[in-house]
Amino acid sequence: MDLLSVLQRLAPELEKGLGQVFSLADLEQLRVDFLGRKGRLAQLMSQLSGLSPEERPAVGQMANEIKTRLLALLDGHRADLEARQEAAALARFDASLPGRTPWSGSLHPTTLVQEEICAVFNSLGYEVVSGPEVENDYYNFEALNMPPEHPARDMQDTLYISEKILMRTHTSPVQVRTMLSRKPPLAVIAPGKVYRRDSDLTHTPMFHQVEGLMVGENISMAHLRGTLTAFLRAVFGAQTQVRFRPSFFPFTEPSAEVDISCCMCGGKGHLNGEPCRVCKTTGWVEILGCGMVDPAVFEAVGYDPSVVSGFAFGLGVERVAMLKYGIGDLRMFFENDVRFLGQFA
Amino acid sequence: MLLSLKWLREFVPYEGSTQELGDRLTMLGLELEEVVRPYEDIASIVVGHVVSCEDHPESDHLHVCKVDAGQGELLDIVCGAPNVATGQHVPVALVGSVLPGGLVIKKAKLRGQPSFGMICSERELGLTEDHSGIMVLPENLPVGQRLLDVLDLDTEVLDINVTPNRADCLSVLGLAREVALAFDLPLTLPQVAMQEEGDDISGNISVRVADPELCWLYAGRIIEGIAIAPSPAHIRHRLHAVGVRPISNVVDVTNYILMECGQPLHSFDFNKLNAKAISVSPAREGERFVTLDEQERVLCAADLCIRDGEEAVALAGVMGGMESAVDTATTSVFLESAVFRPASIRRTSRRLGLSSESSYRFERGVDQSRSLWALDRAASLIAAFSGGRVRRGICHTEPKPYVAPRIPFRPARADAVLGVALERDFNERVLTRLGCAIEDGQKETWSVTPPAWRYDLSREADLIEEVGRVHGLDTIPPVLPPLARVLDDVARPEPVFSFWMRVKRWGHGLGLHEAVNYSFVGHKDLDHLALPAEGRVSIMNPLSAEQDALRTALAPGLLQNLKTNLSQGALGLRLFELAHIFAADPSSDTTVRQSGRLGILLYGLLHDVQWPQQERDADYMDVKGIVTQLCRFLHISAPVCVQQDEHPFLRPCVAVQVDGHDVGVMGRVRPEMADAFHARKDIWLAELDMEMLATLHQASYIRFTALPVFPPVRRDITVAAAAGVHVDTVIAHVNAMKLPLLEQIQLIDLFEPERGEERNLTFRLTFRHTERTLKDAEVDKIREKIALSLTGALQVRI
Repeated sequence: MDLLSVLQRLAPELEKGLGQVFSLADLEQLRVDFLGRKGRLAQLMSQLSGLSPEERPAVGQMANEIKTRLLALLDGHRADLEARQEAAALARFDASLPGRTPWSGSLHPTTLVQEEICAVFNSLGYEVVSGPEVENDYYNFEALNMPPEHPARDMQDTLYISEKILMRTHTSPVQVRTMLSRKPPLAVIAPGKVYRRDSDLTHTPMFHQVEGLMVGENISMAHLRGTLTAFLRAVFGAQTQVRFRPSFFPFTEPSAEVDISCCMCGGKGHLNGEPCRVCKTTGWVEILGCGMVDPAVFEAVGYDPSVVSGFAFGLGVERVAMLKYGIGDLRMFFENDVRFLGQFA
Repeated sequence: MLLSLKWLREFVPYEGSTQELGDRLTMLGLELEEVVRPYEDIASIVVGHVVSCEDHPESDHLHVCKVDAGQGELLDIVCGAPNVATGQHVPVALVGSVLPGGLVIKKAKLRGQPSFGMICSERELGLTEDHSGIMVLPENLPVGQRLLDVLDLDTEVLDINVTPNRADCLSVLGLAREVALAFDLPLTLPQVAMQEEGDDISGNISVRVADPELCWLYAGRIIEGIAIAPSPAHIRHRLHAVGVRPISNVVDVTNYILMECGQPLHSFDFNKLNAKAISVSPAREGERFVTLDEQERVLCAADLCIRDGEEAVALAGVMGGMESAVDTATTSVFLESAVFRPASIRRTSRRLGLSSESSYRFERGVDQSRSLWALDRAASLIAAFSGGRVRRGICHTEPKPYVAPRIPFRPARADAVLGVALERDFNERVLTRLGCAIEDGQKETWSVTPPAWRYDLSREADLIEEVGRVHGLDTIPPVLPPLARVLDDVARPEPVFSFWMRVKRWGHGLGLHEAVNYSFVGHKDLDHLALPAEGRVSIMNPLSAEQDALRTALAPGLLQNLKTNLSQGALGLRLFELAHIFAADPSSDTTVRQSGRLGILLYGLLHDVQWPQQERDADYMDVKGIVTQLCRFLHISAPVCVQQDEHPFLRPCVAVQVDGHDVGVMGRVRPEMADAFHARKDIWLAELDMEMLATLHQASYIRFTALPVFPPVRRDITVAAAAGVHVDTVIAHVNAMKLPLLEQIQLIDLFEPERGEERNLTFRLTFRHTERTLKDAEVDKIREKIALSLTGALQVRI
């Protein structure tokens, strides 16, 4: 048998061999058999030296063509095998396997609400300030136009540390401290913990408030209305209706309580034919207290009430959170059950 | 304040709906809380006429009546009341009606006699406590009509939230003024029909006030020849409707006038007063006095007493005395109408925990110009209801007469504060209708005199509020103000809130849950964790022993949270809290220093859902990793962790230091303490100082370093070391060799053979040359050098 015909049989033999190959490892073995350093092609090529010089170029050329052909066959089969393996892997792929999730944490709802409120006021040019939670009677009451024996002190049952030192009952002392340390104009927002001697289904002895204060020349009730309307729509949605009712706080005059259209029933008073339990059919829910800073407060901090005017407002963070997230029970805020906390991721 | 619509209509002819009235008052600052319908549950009761009444054949106390209740036919009704009789008009509950308390009236048979309804007593109707017999109605009432209509009961009562500044609205009259203002209606006051008789008492009874600052007005009248009895029905029903218990024809009148015009009155049994000299003077320190509620009170010098000679007969403005109280035998009363200093009444009321309708009004201020009118009206009503006579004259002193302030009012200022342009006529009309007198109304600054009943109007701001609320705060156009910033504001340091917020966001992103606990705990909670008692801050008037101290650590709250969550079936917990702790500090202006703390608690299974995560409990390296990561997040140096010998509640306890500063501690809660929180596994805690972290963070900055050009070469080295050889010791030793090509050494594996004295620490050494690629041989040589040095210095094997 001459070398040429042996060479020409290599490709059909490889094809035959490939018919039995179903794995990449077997394919590699076959490749080594045919194209390895000691493979069949290499052995045939080693016989090339035995040929006459005339025969050599033709057989050499033939051998190269055969090698290319073998490589193409092997590559083609490899591609087939890989495509089949890929298809098999895809068939096994289960997209419903659970993810290897990292931990997920959560922020307390009071934090989320405080952050949101502060963000809105930051965008309106307010600066966040804070003050001590244990306060002087002076900053908490007296400087806010609530001298001792003022009946308005009844509005806030107080936890005392000593006769003159108390747990602040609102974040308003922060506005006093801020005004004492700065000159107008100023616009600040003070979030924080406040304390009342009160504990029942709708009161906890500690809760959170956000207090806002703007002081400048020619600040008016219209500015207060604009600011709070903007703020409440930012937090509760653009469709929110806002209502200002005259009220009383010792440190503002005129004072107002602000209601928003009930976010549960949309201000209709009824939900699916049932009386709305959030607004008690009135269509309104009370959301914050506000007013124009009382001249007595300006006098207490050494501002001239004939030159500057300003407004202040305060709201309960838990109340906003309850309305915004539909939380029914105030006590849950401080139990720190992760089944509760985890909902505020 | 409960306002009966019918009572209101005696003062002002308001004919609109209750809801409209409530809405309007709400928008004037007098918030309607709810509409109470006190007689709603007797709406089905009708007037019946007892046509015949015979004794029950089978009973010695029951009666069988035939009653005409307007039903077309006579009803048989069995009645057990002793006073039922033929010819009476009575309230009848028909079959099917429901009485207050839920009793449903059904067809019944009582000892063989059928009964088709029930004749009711006042108590059964919820009108009064009277259950001595059935209620007998006036004879002229139309049979079959609703009791509600024929008795003209106060069926609609508005519960109005009166703010502390509006003392004038704590009466029907005061609210009527507001209604008159709101709906532009005339106001009518009841006429006082006074008939005085006998000698003038003004010369016979003296009144002396010790301190004019404490008692501004004191007046009294005597009503003689009275017979104590229940008040007329309409008085009793009306008081009942507004939540006042009817007592007698004398006491009811004082309450009626108090509700009507806001002037508290007190009636003494004149025959029980010893002297004919009334004095108003402070109590003696420790003086004992029994008030009407039969409580003995120990008084102090700040309390004000009414005395008949030496003996106290009333605690001024708060409550009368037991000794001089009107009772069923009273025939003559001394009726007091006075005005006391609000702060004094409030102090006594608060100190004794004794608040009355009277003290509530005195604390807020009563209309001194109406005191005598109220006295006369009450005296004439008592006389009329009790068959008595009003003695001629008043004993009266007014040491501090009411002086109206004159308040400057600038309409332009009102416009500026409110942000609207109010018409001159509007301002004038509102102030006038409020009862103010205006002078200089054509000038820039008006001079306004408020009415005597408006104690709250003393400054321009008060008047601006008045025109504002009548104009309607809700109609002022909303406008955004200009930015109120000064240039200095912009470069201020980061607010504490923002820094805390960033740390909270870090904790959240890391996978911890944020907890918020009360700032107070029980002293016993702090004791349980062996926290020092020194320096704690106590609450003077705590709600409970669980909340009597300010926390000196975050651990008590976090551990309580662990207990809560374990009881709900949690298998693991990852919490953090950012809050203040408190310590006594005499140098602080509040005597207390608050410090920010970050608390972290890890417990039990680390992952909420296990597979394919490895199931593993939290350990020291988890809490340390979190603390280390925080330092990296804040761009501060890696923490140095030093084991501490002693800590109140952590064992082991590790101090966390950054650049030589104490940043906090971390460690495992002592198992014997952890037990109380039902922990079955190790609890790992960290408490870090937020102020120190903020300081370090503020001093930190980001400085870019050029990236290395040449590749690193890595070699691992395993050190078998005695258990006492710490990882840091090995690293510190290697670093101390100051090998220029060694970039980093870090622990990559730890193997502790069971029951072995030694443990195998595998470190990875990273080498790099800044200017060329390192050769394997030179790196191997350095690794050998390190191995040699470690074995020599630390008695370890490589």
